[in-house]
Amino acid sequence: MCAPDHSKNINRVGLFSYLIVEKKISLNINGINVSARPGLTILEAARENGIDIPTLCHIPDLLPIGACRLCVVEVAGSRTLVGSCHTPIAEGMVIQTHSPKVIATRRVLVELMLASHPDACLICDKANICELRRIAADLEVGLPRFRARKHYFPVEDENDRMVRDMSKCVQCRRCVMACKSQSGQPLFSMAYRGFDSKVIYGNDQPLDRDACRDCDACIEICPSGALRKPRKPGEERADKALFIKG
Amino acid sequence: MTSKRVKKPSQERAELVERLKEAQRHHGCVSEEVIAALAESLAIPVHEVYGVASFYSFLTTRPLGRNVILVCKSLPCHLKGAEMIMEAVAKELGIGPGETTADGRFSFELTNCIGLCDHAPAMLINQDPHLDLTPEKIKQILKSYK
Repeated sequence: MCAPDHSKNINRVGLFSYLIVEKKISLNINGINVSARPGLTILEAARENGIDIPTLCHIPDLLPIGACRLCVVEVAGSRTLVGSCHTPIAEGMVIQTHSPKVIATRRVLVELMLASHPDACLICDKANICELRRIAADLEVGLPRFRARKHYFPVEDENDRMVRDMSKCVQCRRCVMACKSQSGQPLFSMAYRGFDSKVIYGNDQPLDRDACRDCDACIEICPSGALRKPRKPGEERADKALFIKG
Repeated sequence: MTSKRVKKPSQERAELVERLKEAQRHHGCVSEEVIAALAESLAIPVHEVYGVASFYSFLTTRPLGRNVILVCKSLPCHLKGAEMIMEAVAKELGIGPGETTADGRFSFELTNCIGLCDHAPAMLINQDPHLDLTPEKIKQILKSYK
């Protein structure tokens, strides 16, 4: 008996699929030829090869959301920038993850987010672990040049597991996605339209006392101070102070 | 494995918008009770039903008056002076967008694009289109609705 021919089984899920060495896809990221497993997204392939692309909405291992657009990259032959977190890699792709055009786009996106974000970092509990603030610092975004209307919502602190302040929400939808996959019954959805879009609970009502179980999944992944744990009196803010360069 | 993770929406989810439209026709609005009942019967969480209902400007979560004015707020109408039309309607009726007159005769709502951009600014009253509006026309038009 000769050895079974595995080559026919490629792309088919079979009993011994783990034995098959899948054919790798070769692509070019920032001028470097790399290879990656088929089925990965550009973001995953880049990260595997040590290239960091900033994201605010991506959660590893969950369905891509594609809401924040910070992960946009330039793909040769594509009319527009593409979101790398939801674009699968293809053979021979030529990708630029940090070209001037991409960086300029990311800066504008962060500026727009900051423009409608309350200037409350000094008193925000999550200021030191805030992803939005860290990315703004990384991209060297200073004061936003846009003077946008801000969202103001009352802080929802009825629940003893979670404090929710939708004024600080950047609408990345991570909490919607995480809650969907963690618990049988998700708590959040997107509602309204355009500027009024908002993550809601129930019929757009404040989080009540017994709304949430204690998985904390959404609090951990919230990139801003919109979701946080209640702080007991005398307790320190989360993590060490975040020093912004410059 | 992006492509394998994507599931087709279930039949219930696909039905949702039609059911909401039906409820709006029957009850005049998609109230919290209607949303709760729909969520129950389609096995979709309440917040998701509310999310869809609040997205569409032809669906409302509160009861409306006899005549429903929908003034377009999208870009082409905006550029052609929809703001002035809204002001004229508000002045004529004494109510702002999202409100109903005390006598229940008119509800004043804003809508996203209604596809009448070639005759901007435009509005719908009880689904009848009114085109190429000017603040002067508003009084006349509103008079014809009792």
